[in-house]
Amino acid sequence: MNTRQQGFSRRAALQLVGAGGVGAVLAGCAGPGSTGGSTSTGAASISGEASGDISFAHWRAEDKQVFDDLIKKFAATTPDVSVRQDISPSNDYQSSALQRIRGGSVGDVFVAFRGAQFVDMVEAGLYTDVSNQDFVQNFDPALIEAGKQDDTQFGYPYQVVFNMPVTNADLVSKAGGGSAPKDWDGFLGLCDDLKSQGVVPIAWPGGDPGNAGQLFNAMVMNNAPSDDMCTKIESGEYKCTDDWFLTTLQQYVQLKPYFQDNATGTAVEPCQQIFATKKAAMLATGSYHIAAVRALGAEFDMDLIAPITVSADEAKYEGIYNATFVLGVNSASKNQAAALAWLEYLSTPEVAGVYANGTSQNVTVKDVEYTNPDLKAIAPWLTRKTLLAPRFQFNNLDIRTAVEGACIAVVGGKSPDAAAAEAQRVVDQQRGQ
Amino acid sequence: MTATTETRAGVTPAADRPRRGRRRGAHGRVHPGLWFFPVPALLLYLVFFAGPTLQAFQYSVTDWDGFSADFANVGTSNFGSIVSNDDLFRGALTNNLKFLFVVVIAQTALSLLLAVLLQRNSRSSTALRALFFLPAILSSVSVAFVWKFMYDPNFGLINQVLGGIGLDGLRSAFLGNADQAIFWVALAQVWAHAGQLMVIFIAGLQQIPAELYESASLDGASQWQRFRFVTWPLIAPATAIVVAYTTIQSFKAFDLILGLGGNPPKGSLDILSTRIYTTFTNSKFGYAAAESIVFMLIIAVVSLLQRRAVRLTQHGA
Repeated sequence: MNTRQQGFSRRAALQLVGAGGVGAVLAGCAGPGSTGGSTSTGAASISGEASGDISFAHWRAEDKQVFDDLIKKFAATTPDVSVRQDISPSNDYQSSALQRIRGGSVGDVFVAFRGAQFVDMVEAGLYTDVSNQDFVQNFDPALIEAGKQDDTQFGYPYQVVFNMPVTNADLVSKAGGGSAPKDWDGFLGLCDDLKSQGVVPIAWPGGDPGNAGQLFNAMVMNNAPSDDMCTKIESGEYKCTDDWFLTTLQQYVQLKPYFQDNATGTAVEPCQQIFATKKAAMLATGSYHIAAVRALGAEFDMDLIAPITVSADEAKYEGIYNATFVLGVNSASKNQAAALAWLEYLSTPEVAGVYANGTSQNVTVKDVEYTNPDLKAIAPWLTRKTLLAPRFQFNNLDIRTAVEGACIAVVGGKSPDAAAAEAQRVVDQQRGQ
Repeated sequence: MTATTETRAGVTPAADRPRRGRRRGAHGRVHPGLWFFPVPALLLYLVFFAGPTLQAFQYSVTDWDGFSADFANVGTSNFGSIVSNDDLFRGALTNNLKFLFVVVIAQTALSLLLAVLLQRNSRSSTALRALFFLPAILSSVSVAFVWKFMYDPNFGLINQVLGGIGLDGLRSAFLGNADQAIFWVALAQVWAHAGQLMVIFIAGLQQIPAELYESASLDGASQWQRFRFVTWPLIAPATAIVVAYTTIQSFKAFDLILGLGGNPPKGSLDILSTRIYTTFTNSKFGYAAAESIVFMLIIAVVSLLQRRAVRLTQHGA
């Protein structure tokens, strides 16, 4: 028997394999941007009947049960649409959601973190223009500004979070007489009083850069010359070596004795534990951790506090808030009408109330009745003079990490001048890349 | 039949040669259909390894952000920045080399020591081998969580023990100490993999003929000399495998770093793989692709140097 009689020669077989391989490699080497979903912003209006299965992509695993309950109620009112949750851990969501959602197979309705992720997702054309939807009036206009770009409403921020220290109200009122300090000396005095009571004044997760950076918001809100200080650091207009930033770093050094021991190595969970067990008076992360602290058994009253880093007459802001969890409809979704129906359902005050009270999160929807005692306690902050969290102005995550890293470094023992210079060097390099 | 008869008649070898060739062909030729058997594996390799590698070269000279249709060709500027103007990449490289150095030395030494002590097939040795091997079956993320608890400054076991025996001065921030953090991660890596590499060394040690040790003893060699002149040169293949594997492992400690240091990790915990991932996350695909190529070259250089070092050490022995 020879090879010709078998129909294939070895050479022919190798040629076939080679051609297939070259084809595969060439297919793999298609030009950048040549695959995936749309790259233009989805401005087309959404029409058609709401029906089909849709995916709701988000990162809040802790909200799954509440969303499951809402999905069941939604199914009762809209039987033609079924909603499935696709939940990724927040870190994974931050790093890979754009690529996953872009294809349209998940995330007919999706969310984004305010800041760099939202900006990138709009640029990538993931968000459909939802400016002209009737249900926009369900939201507080001031709180959904963060979902706009170039005057187009691409998404609706859903959660209102206060990214400032949570307090054990009992311990703080015992130490400070009940009123929040109005200036930096007052804040340091409160910390001294708390320390003399034998508690850690501030539990700060310096080992977890994402959560450690929340304190940065309050530390710069009154120190910086303008409210867009982080945008200006990124654009090169402000420097980390400027006086206001050096002052901030020196104030971090002043706070060091009031953090728990070895704070730069402490993750967020131990900080929650210290706080929940009344060994610390403040948890320097944000209101988004109240539910987790309650789950650890905390039964004391909680409130919020922000360090006022200047004198009382120079203070522009009392605290920090963030409007995040920016809901949107995927431009690559095949069921946009169904996606929009789910979005509209979430925007109704009753539904938003169920979500808010079930997850201990304030929401951007108007006329919501907060029955959760923790939300009731912090509700006054919705009307106080607060600044939209500046750390999310950074669109370059390496710049954000470098700037916030300087604050961690000075608590670890580095001099403010050296830490600032190091951070500025990274900022300059990143801007040049 | 005729041909067979002629062969048996003892015709010249020259005349016999083609016939033998035909016989080889008849029995030894590969059926052409078999050439298709490697195709699935080859295609997978081409699509998921060769293609993306070539693609990385293509992206590395662009400023592509990972999602836009538009991009610009930036020539070699990405590589220029990486080499001369990128503290973050340089810091990650320095951390990675420190991590590599500590892990390769400590893991190789510890696994060899354990192998020498546990190479006999006694019941206690087998039980201890299983015990030391145990961490290897854990995923890196589990290892990270175990050590995250160990290193926690407030509730962690290490600081609690130090406090308990009155050594409060030695209590540390561990991963929060910028100068030491990467070494603490290296310790976790060694703990997780020393038992696994011990098994490779034991296999190597058990291949060494007992006669060599006997004759060395008869020549009056001490225990150290027997190790130095018999064991060490003869476990060269095992050592080469261990060192190469450990090196690759050290560059791939991605999940351990993210588990211990968060995402993105602090500069003191950043290594090359996490740096590249962070750059991708930061929507700088072109730059990250250039970093990947530099990373590939670094691994190639380190691997070559290591192979040479291992060869020199064992030839010297």
